[in-house]
Amino acid sequence: MNPPAGTTGGSRSSSEGASTAPGAAPSSEPVIVPTPGSNLHPSPAEVANPVVEADLATTPETPPGEEKGRRFSLGMDRFSGLYVWAALIVVFAIWVPDTFLRLNNVTIIAGNEAITAMLALGIIIPLAAGVFDLSFAGVAGVSVAVTAWGQVNGYSPFIAALMALVVATIVGALNGFVVVQLKVNSFIATLGMSSLLVAAEYFITDGKQIVEGFSEGFLTLGNTQILGIPLPFYAMLILAAVIYVVIEYLPIGRYLYASGGNPVAARLAGVRVDRVVYGSLVASSLVAGITGVVLAARIGTASPDIGPSYLLPAFSAVFLGSTQIKPGRVNVVGTLIAIYLLATGVKGLQLAGAPTYTKDLFNGLALIIAVALAARSARKA
Amino acid sequence: MSPTPALEIRGLSKTFPGQRALTEVDLQLRPGELRALVGQNGCGKSTLIKVLAGYHEPDPGVDVFVDGERLHLGTAGAGDAAGLRFVHQDLGLVPTLDTCDNLAMGHGYERNRLGLISWRKEQRLARETLTGLGYDFDVRQPTGHLVISQRTAIALARALSPRATPARVLVLDEPTANLPATEIERLFDVVRSVRDRGVAVLFVSHHLDEVFRLCDTVTVLRDGRHIVTRPVEGLDEDALIALMIGRTLEQFAVPVEGAGQHGEPALEAHDLCTDVLAGVDLDVRPGEIVGVAGITGSGREEIALALFGGIPRTGVVTVDGRRVEEHRPDKAVDAGLALVPAERHANAAFLESTLRENVSIVNPGDFLRRGLLNRRREVSEVTTWLQKLKVRPPQPERHLGTLSGGNQQKVMLARWLRQQPKVLVLDEPTQGVDVGAKADIHLLVEEAAAAGAAVVVVSTDHSELTRLAERVVVLRNGRIADVLRRPHIDPDRITAATIGQGSQSKGAAA
Repeated sequence: MNPPAGTTGGSRSSSEGASTAPGAAPSSEPVIVPTPGSNLHPSPAEVANPVVEADLATTPETPPGEEKGRRFSLGMDRFSGLYVWAALIVVFAIWVPDTFLRLNNVTIIAGNEAITAMLALGIIIPLAAGVFDLSFAGVAGVSVAVTAWGQVNGYSPFIAALMALVVATIVGALNGFVVVQLKVNSFIATLGMSSLLVAAEYFITDGKQIVEGFSEGFLTLGNTQILGIPLPFYAMLILAAVIYVVIEYLPIGRYLYASGGNPVAARLAGVRVDRVVYGSLVASSLVAGITGVVLAARIGTASPDIGPSYLLPAFSAVFLGSTQIKPGRVNVVGTLIAIYLLATGVKGLQLAGAPTYTKDLFNGLALIIAVALAARSARKA
Repeated sequence: MSPTPALEIRGLSKTFPGQRALTEVDLQLRPGELRALVGQNGCGKSTLIKVLAGYHEPDPGVDVFVDGERLHLGTAGAGDAAGLRFVHQDLGLVPTLDTCDNLAMGHGYERNRLGLISWRKEQRLARETLTGLGYDFDVRQPTGHLVISQRTAIALARALSPRATPARVLVLDEPTANLPATEIERLFDVVRSVRDRGVAVLFVSHHLDEVFRLCDTVTVLRDGRHIVTRPVEGLDEDALIALMIGRTLEQFAVPVEGAGQHGEPALEAHDLCTDVLAGVDLDVRPGEIVGVAGITGSGREEIALALFGGIPRTGVVTVDGRRVEEHRPDKAVDAGLALVPAERHANAAFLESTLRENVSIVNPGDFLRRGLLNRRREVSEVTTWLQKLKVRPPQPERHLGTLSGGNQQKVMLARWLRQQPKVLVLDEPTQGVDVGAKADIHLLVEEAAAAGAAVVVVSTDHSELTRLAERVVVLRNGRIADVLRRPHIDPDRITAATIGQGSQSKGAAA
């Protein structure tokens, strides 16, 4: 029950020793409920770190090039996902060359994973700020339902989508209120909210599948392809770019990681931690809402059980991704690598004739092994 | 000759790498004796207690007897089994567990015939124990919800609870540090009743007035050596302080001068109150370095955070005449306040972030160019600061956690010096910092003041205050009890002032 603490706290680059965990350091006390933001004390890994006193004192000036060179040598660690991905492609290319090495596999994988990827990108934001959002999958489901309901009831697709986004934002604001104002642990608050959202989904769809009443243009949009890849993939790319820029190139990104890394210190550095947390929960809900609209356009149905199935894959992707690129930190590029690495592996295995349950098997093993390896390299450091 | 001593220590030494904490200390306690153990910070009191508690292993060659039986120090539990009982300063309670559970950590649980815990018996026992000490409260509440005096009572009850051997020696380490004055007398009554049962009590306190009120005899440690053990009778505070610091002090009632500094104060605090602070006024002018001293519980721990708005406060804080909103550190930053808090790891450091991110977390917007953070500009400015502060290594992309404590602290300082604050508040700025870095930090603080910052240095390191401060404000019981000014500042005077020389603390505690 403690995924982020385990994942993120354990995953550190081996040579740099410690890096900012999204969920922060592993909490030293046994907690039942994960507390992603409770990084108040040096974790064992930090304590074990070699203290660098003066090993580079002779080179007071560090040319940027040298810095890059030093970091590049860590490639095996930070970019291991890319190597594994390449290895998977080679293995399956040799194993099942006839079926695997087809262009349409690329487009299928790219398109299929777009929804999971969008949702995963959304939860990067609260996880960076040190809080969970377990309700995003429910929000996506409700967003699908509202988009469908709106169109069935004669609203234009645009208005229907807008209604879905408004609902998503309100849910995010409620999450923020419960977590920040009522000081309920985010794990519990959003777990409760996701249950409410399932109820809401049933209410909106009346427990039935909505398959008719979607506007033609809306469904066409969801299934339009550019270069053979469906439009949702491009929506995902745009979303990834936006979140990447916000996290890496705007002050708010610094505030997010600071709030998640050490909320006390962040507050004493003038960061309005409460606002950051509140905003992060609204943001992830909004992203889930957008994803729901895209999903509705892609599948053209709304059923009450849509949404929750995305919960675990999206979280797995983010945690697996936090071992990549910026080890120990949830990040956009790492998350995308994780998603497409897993999808490639699963696709290859399926083409090689593996049974259906292989997908879950492979995803679960990959997550546990990757994070365990990251934790081990952190201990060695 | 008197009966067998309850505790007898002969030739106790303790050497830490590079430092001798205790040298050939002898100590003897009779049953039913109420003994104070006093000395200034670093005199070896804590080490002595930790050795007795089995936390530190003493140097070889020591003989310890409890009630005539030889005790082998250095193993946890051996002292307990022999009848040595402790109430440590932090009490050692688990706040999420209730009184019964916390008491059971001492002596185990009451079982019923099925071998299960009998909660009925447990609760009755807990209530009885506490009533015996004069306390009555809900024993099923998590101890974290109880007030400090109730928690102290639990810790005391646990120390005295019956085990295989009865308690022979009770060691109380700063038991009154956080207690309100009214509760102190109640605690003393309990301690006296314990004494009357024939238990020897070793009472450690910084509050000399308490020593005079409670104890029969006093032992003074200085620089790890036993200086004297004698009856309290015939001593006064001045004489006791002289024993503690090794020389007599001339009276130093320094009149509070008028505005001797130039310019209007950059920082003004008026009637600053928190749960501990009880109305503190403080003015600091640009270029001035003001020290703040005080023992634990005097308000020293709170004042820096209170000024900055990190904890709830009342009263008015202004910077350059503009009022700073309370409980809004972000507004404090905007107003030109900077706080380098105590306990870096908990309150300031992002250990898993880079030095660059650690420095630029305050106002990262400074590095925006065309709406986006400009990494190159940020790296170059941060590197400049790291070099200026002699951070080793001055690599902005290194993670903070990989640096030594002194270098981490310099990074914290770089974070705030980059802001060129009007008011720089430093809380224990050289805590856990090596000697070289400490000297560097002192220079930086002086440079900041020379550049026009009003500086407040809160510290328990009295030589640090002597080194830096033109004026030292001494807190006692949440109020300003003394103000020392150059050239009347030296570590001993500060120490003497913090532990309540003069009438004020007596009056306040009574």
